[in-house]
Amino acid sequence: MSRLFSLLPRWLLVAVLLVSPAPPAWAQLSDGLTGPDDRSPYSAATLVSEGASIQPGVPFTVALRLDMDPHWHSYWENPGDSGQPTSLTWALPEGFTAAPFQWPYPKRIDLGPLTTYAYEDVVHLLVEVTPPADLAPGTSVELAGEAVWLICEEVCLPAREAVALTLPVRTEAPAPSPSAPALAEARADLPTTVSDWTVRATRNGRTFALYATSASGRQLDPEGLQFFAATRSTIDHAAPQPVTREGNAYLVALQESDYAASPAERLRGTLVAPAGETWDAAGRYRALAVDVPVEDAQAAGLEAAGGADASGPPSLVWTLLLAFAGGLILNLMPCVFPILSIKILSFAGQQGASAATLRRHGGVFGAGVIVSFWVLAGLLLALRAGGDQIGWGFQLQSPPFIALMALLFFGLGLSLLGVFEIGLGLMQKAGQLERTAQQGEASLTGSFFSGVLATVVATPCTAPFMGAALGVALTMPAWQSLVVFTALGAGMAAPYVLLSMAPRLIDRLPRPGPWMETLKQGLAFPMFATTVWLVWVFGQQAGIDGVAFLLLACLVLGVAAWALGRWNPVRTGGRVLVPRTAAAVGLVGAVALGLMGAQASPATSMASASAGADVWQPWSQERVEALRAEGRPVFIDFTAAWCLTCQVNKRTTLRTETIQDAFADRNVALLEADWTNEDPAITTALESFGRSGVPLYVLYPGDGSDPVLLPEILTTSIVLNALDRLPNPSTVASATP
Amino acid sequence: MKTRLSLLVAGLVPVFLLVAAFTQAPTAPASPEIGATAPAFTLQGADGETYTLADFEGQHVVLEWLNFGCPYVKKHYSSGNMQALQSKYAEEGVVWLSVVSSAPGKQGYYPADEMMALNAEQGGQQMAILLDPEGTVGRAYGARTTPHMYIIDAEGTLVYKGGIDDKPTADPSDIEGATNHVSVALDAALAGEEIPVTTTPPYGCSVKYAAAQ
Repeated sequence: MSRLFSLLPRWLLVAVLLVSPAPPAWAQLSDGLTGPDDRSPYSAATLVSEGASIQPGVPFTVALRLDMDPHWHSYWENPGDSGQPTSLTWALPEGFTAAPFQWPYPKRIDLGPLTTYAYEDVVHLLVEVTPPADLAPGTSVELAGEAVWLICEEVCLPAREAVALTLPVRTEAPAPSPSAPALAEARADLPTTVSDWTVRATRNGRTFALYATSASGRQLDPEGLQFFAATRSTIDHAAPQPVTREGNAYLVALQESDYAASPAERLRGTLVAPAGETWDAAGRYRALAVDVPVEDAQAAGLEAAGGADASGPPSLVWTLLLAFAGGLILNLMPCVFPILSIKILSFAGQQGASAATLRRHGGVFGAGVIVSFWVLAGLLLALRAGGDQIGWGFQLQSPPFIALMALLFFGLGLSLLGVFEIGLGLMQKAGQLERTAQQGEASLTGSFFSGVLATVVATPCTAPFMGAALGVALTMPAWQSLVVFTALGAGMAAPYVLLSMAPRLIDRLPRPGPWMETLKQGLAFPMFATTVWLVWVFGQQAGIDGVAFLLLACLVLGVAAWALGRWNPVRTGGRVLVPRTAAAVGLVGAVALGLMGAQASPATSMASASAGADVWQPWSQERVEALRAEGRPVFIDFTAAWCLTCQVNKRTTLRTETIQDAFADRNVALLEADWTNEDPAITTALESFGRSGVPLYVLYPGDGSDPVLLPEILTTSIVLNALDRLPNPSTVASATP
Repeated sequence: MKTRLSLLVAGLVPVFLLVAAFTQAPTAPASPEIGATAPAFTLQGADGETYTLADFEGQHVVLEWLNFGCPYVKKHYSSGNMQALQSKYAEEGVVWLSVVSSAPGKQGYYPADEMMALNAEQGGQQMAILLDPEGTVGRAYGARTTPHMYIIDAEGTLVYKGGIDDKPTADPSDIEGATNHVSVALDAALAGEEIPVTTTPPYGCSVKYAAAQ
């Protein structure tokens, strides 16, 4: 179970991915813009050519050159969070065609929480123009057009300018124009492929991973490696892009844009090497062209592991296969297998019946199973719809809820161990139903309901094991969830249906026997493991006294379960009043004790934190302000005991010696905002970062600049990279808080 | 029968717990998601009144991020497009609030009285202009640009966020022929129909937030 807990969140991130529409088409320009009299403030546009002349029919390169005043910028193909890409509307002579702009790589400009992709000083936007073949040498042609751009410092002004360029037509190859070197430079800045490097992209939930792999193992300084997406609503432009090295690859993590509206099938843009670094050994190219399909991280991972062919199974198909297999495995669960044998007995009882009747019964039984799964799916989907409103996370903030869960799992564990049996009555019912089904001749209704019953009876055993498929199903659109549940049901019904098709196989089945009991008892321990986790969460909320109450509640529940099992109807000849009363009283007592424990104060709970915890101070907004006023960098861990990702990050990264040392070296004040119990101040703080949940990791540089938000899933290198980007610590002297 | 019910419950509850635990983990959004409750706020209006989002429960609310110095805002005010939308939907009972998140000293920031005068000059027909000089509400909504539009339904749920229309330019002549996402969404919401497009990329000038917070 605990393994499940740690593995599943990754799976769940298999969500629908979204991407942007194409850049907008430019409408024909007109006058009437409001703005200053200067039509191109703080900037100027000119049209320049690479060659001094052109040849008939031979494509040539020109460029729209923008000269900008210091600190003013114009925008790239994708302007980022605001702004507008530069455009040029051509008025070309008859027979000429112009290709779209080729954009040199841009510069990232951060404005508070917003990020734009822009050019400063001077930029050449290259255009390939193809003249007609029937141009007469000796004449000259005029290329004209109107450039429209946005020029911004912090404020933005629209700019437009008519541009024109006259070039002579000659038969010989053109001599370079005075602008040729500048255009050559611009061409070197165009995103390009470099033969040594291959790029691929995967997606996991709302995170993309971009891999740039060097065949020759070439290395460059990953600090400052930056991906620029060419489409507007693909990635979150402002999000940090942590870089890690994996083998010969650099892995850049990108966050999906909040404005992504359709599944991102490709990542297009450029990966720009840090200043002074290039992708090629000759030192020419800083911008690596990226235009790759986005693979699903799950499928990609399986591929890597299994060496399967390049087109791995689509995620839905894969999920369906898993669900079907999961359904099949459900048949081995101790609650289910007896049903199988009951069903088999009924097959045996119908040996007189024709094969066709048998098949029909098998099919109807399968339908019963599948319909039950649909009902379950519908229920879950309804709850999901409701859960969106209330926020499931809050359930786990409620100590009474945790207490009841702990008791429930403890009870299930006891039941699996055989302390008491909860399914007996139902199984007998199932048997009776089967028998009536047989007596009532070929009652298909009976077969249908025994399918339903099989599913219902199986639920206590199967539920925890279906968690994986359910979790994935719940991240999908409703129809896909239904398909997944259908696959689960089909998997579970498959053996029955198969047996009804070929009744002779019954002899080959493993007989119900002691192995089943062993399996069932073994399954009790994952239940107890879950109980331990829940008690731990509860302890965070209710303190040591609360835990004592909860453990006492478990004890009482244990006594009640024991009483119920010790004096069961079989042993006592049907006299069940006393043990049942005792069990009921015990159950009520256990619940009451658990709830009392939930009332206990958490005041003392924080005292027993782990080693090194003293460095972590409780969070408060005032404390943040005070520390920032001192000029110290501040790291805030917004966390909660019930948040698994938070706990994983804490164990694997934040509380490790490496990271703690790194924090100390840079004199970073460490604050922990514990949202285990709902705290309005923390909720407000989360909202101020635009978040509604944890984890959230915030790093304030010591210089009063904007905080950096780290990704939800931390690695040592992500944190170290973020710390390296802090302004140089001037206050290292007082290294300990 | 009782046993069966309790068994069902006993079986389903762990499922829910697992689901709860796992659905809790994925990343939280940087701006409120469509379908989520819109972040609550109370802001001072330029008119001196105090406006609280919760007070408008039962009515549709439009939030329009505003900066009168921004060419993209000018596009929609000089053409009368924004004012026309404001009065049209005011008649249909929609609360239209323009929010200014420009920090003092930055473009688009005006003291309350100047803001009132400027708005009168522009002929703004919104219910109020809300002053958010610290950018708290702007950040809570993830407002990036001026204009940046949000629609909140009668239950307080965010039902639209994004651009005002599908022609991301500063040129007023592009208003004609553009699809106005806000009016499409509002018409659908008021008619009780499903909103066809709930998220579009916002366009315009960056919101001139205070430098550090």
